[in-house]
Amino acid sequence: MTLAHELDERDGGGSAVAGPSPARTTARASFWYPYLLIAPTMLTLTIVSLIPFVYAIYLSFHQAKYGRVTDFIGFDNYVTLFTDARFWNAMGVALTFVAIAVPIEFMLGLAGALVLNQNIRGRSILVPFLFVPTMMAPIVVGLLWKIMLAGSWGLISYNVLERFGLIGGTSIFASPNLALYALIFVDIWQWTPFMMLAFFAGLQALPLGPYRAAAVDGAGSLQIFFRLTLPMLAPLLAVIGLLRLIDAFKVFDTVFILTGGGPGIATETPSMLAYKMTFEFWNIGEASAFAIIVWIAFFVFCNVFYQIAKKRLNAF
Amino acid sequence: MTSSRHVRWLTAGVAVVALTAAPAPSQAQSFYTEAGKPYAGTTIRVLDEITPLQETLSKIVPEFEKETGIKVEWELLNHFEVISKGQADMVSGRGYYDAVMLHGFQMGPMLTAGVIRPIDDLVKNPKLSNPALNQDDFIQGPYKSTSFYKGKQYGFVNWNYNQVYWARADLLNDPTEQAAFKAKYGYDLAPAKTIEQMRDIAEFFTRKKGSMLAGKPLDSDFYGIILEGIKGGSTFLSMWGNFIKNYGGDIMDADGKPTFDRPENVAAIQMWASLWKFAPPGTAEASLVDVPTIMGNGIAAQTIAWSDFVLGIDRPGKSPYAGKFVYAPIPTKAGREASPAVESEISVTVISSASKKPEPTFLFLQWLAEQKQQEKLLTTGEGGVPARNSSWALPVLTQSPLKGLFTAMKASLDVSTGKPKMPKFYEVYDELTGLSQEIGLGKVSPEDGAKRGQQIMVKHCGQSCLL
Repeated sequence: MTLAHELDERDGGGSAVAGPSPARTTARASFWYPYLLIAPTMLTLTIVSLIPFVYAIYLSFHQAKYGRVTDFIGFDNYVTLFTDARFWNAMGVALTFVAIAVPIEFMLGLAGALVLNQNIRGRSILVPFLFVPTMMAPIVVGLLWKIMLAGSWGLISYNVLERFGLIGGTSIFASPNLALYALIFVDIWQWTPFMMLAFFAGLQALPLGPYRAAAVDGAGSLQIFFRLTLPMLAPLLAVIGLLRLIDAFKVFDTVFILTGGGPGIATETPSMLAYKMTFEFWNIGEASAFAIIVWIAFFVFCNVFYQIAKKRLNAF
Repeated sequence: MTSSRHVRWLTAGVAVVALTAAPAPSQAQSFYTEAGKPYAGTTIRVLDEITPLQETLSKIVPEFEKETGIKVEWELLNHFEVISKGQADMVSGRGYYDAVMLHGFQMGPMLTAGVIRPIDDLVKNPKLSNPALNQDDFIQGPYKSTSFYKGKQYGFVNWNYNQVYWARADLLNDPTEQAAFKAKYGYDLAPAKTIEQMRDIAEFFTRKKGSMLAGKPLDSDFYGIILEGIKGGSTFLSMWGNFIKNYGGDIMDADGKPTFDRPENVAAIQMWASLWKFAPPGTAEASLVDVPTIMGNGIAAQTIAWSDFVLGIDRPGKSPYAGKFVYAPIPTKAGREASPAVESEISVTVISSASKKPEPTFLFLQWLAEQKQQEKLLTTGEGGVPARNSSWALPVLTQSPLKGLFTAMKASLDVSTGKPKMPKFYEVYDELTGLSQEIGLGKVSPEDGAKRGQQIMVKHCGQSCLL
C-alpha cells in the first residue's frame, strides 16, 4: 500500500465536496517527495555531465576548430578518425596497457590481500604504507619515476641500468620497445596496493559461518579458496576490476610526464591523443568524436560485463 | 673570485642600485604618468613564461604600477603551461588575461583563430603611443617577421629567444686533447664553425668510463654532444633551424608548399641523426631544460642550446664548470658560412581580442619595450636576451664575464627571423617531432624519414602550409 492510499483511507476514502481535499493535496505532495529528494543530484548530473555530453555529440558532427563551431559535416569527423592510423595506434596502446597492467594488478592485489588476511605480524604498520602510492597525485608519481628512470641521470638508470650495461645505447623512456612497459610498471606500482587494500577490506567483511562449516566438513585450503572465498568475493572483484580497467584505459598523467606519448607515438594513449587534439591542435570536433567513440565502446563493454557479472558472479 | 671580478660585480651592483633608485623624471616617465591617468586603478592581467629573464622583469613591473597607477597581475608559468593556458583563454573568448606571451610558432594558429587584437589603432593614438619608443631600434629581423602580418601590427617583441653553440673551453683548450685532435683530424681543435667540425668534436670526445679526458681518468662515460631529443619541446625546431636550413634546405618553399623530401634536407637529417651516436643514452628524453643541465653537470663536450638557459648555468655557484665554457655562432655546413641560419623563437606579447582593457594593456606592453626598461632588464639580470640593437652596447653585456655568449647571441639574432605563420603548426610539429625521435633513435632512416615528413606536411597543409 502506498503512502497516498494509506492517507486516503485514513481520510475516509474521499471528500464529499468538490475541489481538492487536503488528503489529495498531501497525496500529490507525497508523490513528488522522492523526486524532490533526488532532484539536486539529477540537476547536478544534468549540468556537469549530461549537457556537456550532449554538446560533445553535437560538436562531433560539426566542423569545430579553435572553439568556433561552423558547418554540419555529418560523420566526417568519425570517418577521419577511423581512417587515421594514429587513432588505431592509440587504441592499440591502451588495450596493450590494460591487458598487461590490470591482470597483474588484480592478481598481485588479490595475492597480497590474502597474505594480509592471514593476520601477519606488522600488518597494522604495513597497511597505512600501502596507501602511499595510491594517495600520491599521478603527476607526482610521474615525476618520481622520472627521477628514477630518466636517461643519463635517473637514480636507477644511471646507477644500475647504465653502470652495469643492462640497457645499451638507449634509456628506458627513450626506447620505443621499453617505454610502454615502463609505463605499465609504474601503473602496477601505483595501483596494486589499492587493489590489495580493496580486496583485503572485502575479505575482512566475509562472514565466518561458511568457513567454520567448511572446516568441520574437512575442506582443504584450496577448496575453501575456490569454493568459498572467491565466489563470496566475486561481486567486489568484479566491481573493483571493472573500475580499474576503465581507469587504466584512460591513463594520462604519467604518460604526459614520462614520455609525452613518445618516442614517436609508441606510448600515445587515447587520452593523450585526445588531449593533443583538443588543447594543442584545437580540433574540437574531431576530439569530441573521439570521446564519443570511446564512450560508446565503454558503454557496450560495461553493459556486457554487467550482464555477465550479474548472471555468473551474482554481482550488482 | 678574483679581485678584478669583485670590482666588476661591485660596479654592476652600484649601476643596478642607481638605475632602480634614481628618480630621473624623464620624458618617457612623464608620458606614461599622463597617459595612464584615465586607467589609474585598473587591473590588467598578463601571462608570460617563466625563465630567468621574466623573473628579472617581474622586479621591474612594480615601477610601471607606480608610474601609472595601473595594477599589473603578472603571472608566470612554464613553457608548456603558458602555451596551453594562454591559448585556452584566448580561444575560449574568456578574456581572463588581457595579454599573453606567444611564441612565434603560436602566431599562425592564433591569427587563424582570430583571437589576437591588432594594435595599429593604439599605435596611432597620440594619447597612448609614446613618440620616444623608437621602433627602428628593435632588432629588425625578429621584430618585423613576428610582430607584423599582412600590414597589421600585433605587438612588440619582448623575448628574442635564440640558440647558440656552447662547448667546454677547458677541453677544447687542453694541450693534450688539442694535439690528439690535430693528429686524428688534421686541423686545430677549436669551437666548431661548421657542422662537420661539430661532428668531429663529438666523435673525438665520446669516451668510455676509465678513459682519459684532459689528463684525468673518467669515472663515468663522457659524451661528445648533447642535443634536445624529447617529443615536443624544440627538438624538431632545432633540426629544422640549425641543420636543415644550414644545409640550404627548408621544409617548405616561399609559397608554403611542402618540400620536406628534398636532397639538402635528407643530407641535413643524416648529419643530425649521426650525432646521436655521440650523445648520452637518454637523448630522446632530453628537453630544452635537460640540455643545459647536462652541460652544467659536465657530462657532454658541446651542444646547441637556447642562449637564455646558459644564464642559469654559467654563473659562479650554479655549475662546477661555470667559467669554463665557450660560446660561438651556430655552425653551418662547410661552404655555406656566408649564409648562416639559426633556430630562434621570437616571442611577442599580444593583446587578447577578448580583453576589455586594451588601452592600459597596450601602455604596459609599450612600456616594457621601451629602451629604458630593456636596459634595466638586462642590467638587473646581469645579462639577458636583447630585443633592441642599442642594448648590445650596454656595459653589462660588453664587460660581462659572459661576453662571449652575448657575441654569439648577437650573431644569432643578426640572422634570426620569426617562424612562418602556419595555421596547422601544431599538427605538423607534433608529428614531425615524433618522427625526429624515431630518426634519432635509428628506427627510421633519414631517407624514409624525409619521405614521411613530406607525407605528414602534405596531409596537414595540402598545397600550402602558410596562412
